[in-house]
Amino acid sequence: MTLYEKIKQIYPSLTDADFDLFKGTIELQNDSDGKGDYIKFWNHPTLKQPTQEELDAV
Amino acid sequence: MASIITATTTSGLTHSADNSGVLQLASGTGNLVTIPSVTGTAMVSGNMPAFSAYPSSNQSVTTATSTKILFQTEVFDTNNNFASSTFTPTVAGYYQFNAYLSPNTSVTRILVMLYKNGSRVNILLDGTSVPATGGGGTILYLNGTTDYVEVYGRLDGSSPAFNSASDSTYFSGFLVRAA
Repeated sequence: MTLYEKIKQIYPSLTDADFDLFKGTIELQNDSDGKGDYIKFWNHPTLKQPTQEELDAV
Repeated sequence: MASIITATTTSGLTHSADNSGVLQLASGTGNLVTIPSVTGTAMVSGNMPAFSAYPSSNQSVTTATSTKILFQTEVFDTNNNFASSTFTPTVAGYYQFNAYLSPNTSVTRILVMLYKNGSRVNILLDGTSVPATGGGGTILYLNGTTDYVEVYGRLDGSSPAFNSASDSTYFSGFLVRAA
């Protein structure tokens, strides 16, 4: 399961608009360095950024 | 002031000298090439960085995730400044960059972005039409020591991937003007 899918599973209310590069409040990135996808920034007004433990539990 | 070497139409090669440290080359019609004394770099074709590269295989990415694009196959790299899909020139100046990406899956959106020193500086393409493919170009100043440039792409769709075809996914750049 990808990071994007895990976040959507934790917060089903999130839509693609929340991940929009220009208008969204969440940005995911992968630097192709073997470390995988990560949350570059999380600025959602009501939902807090999931912890690594929460992501791992999905 | 400058030391000047002139190719004339009457006396052949003439020259005049001073202590400015500046050298000028002139033709009989008055065209000048000025080589600076202390600062600046006069570029010749042998040391003007230019590169072009494309992926060696398709690159799977996660939807809605900005991902560094890997360009493992070099077409040319005149100054050995391109490595690990990253361009880090050793000559300071203004560089033209071109990047073009294409997905090999059906997507609803594609973004092609140029990153300088790890941060996004230019969106080269934000495409939503089908087929969503394309790119763009820009000019950036790089300091010739620590500055580096990468291409990031983003695809929105189900199990998206970037195509590795050399004619539709590439990253190239060259020095426009030394500084």
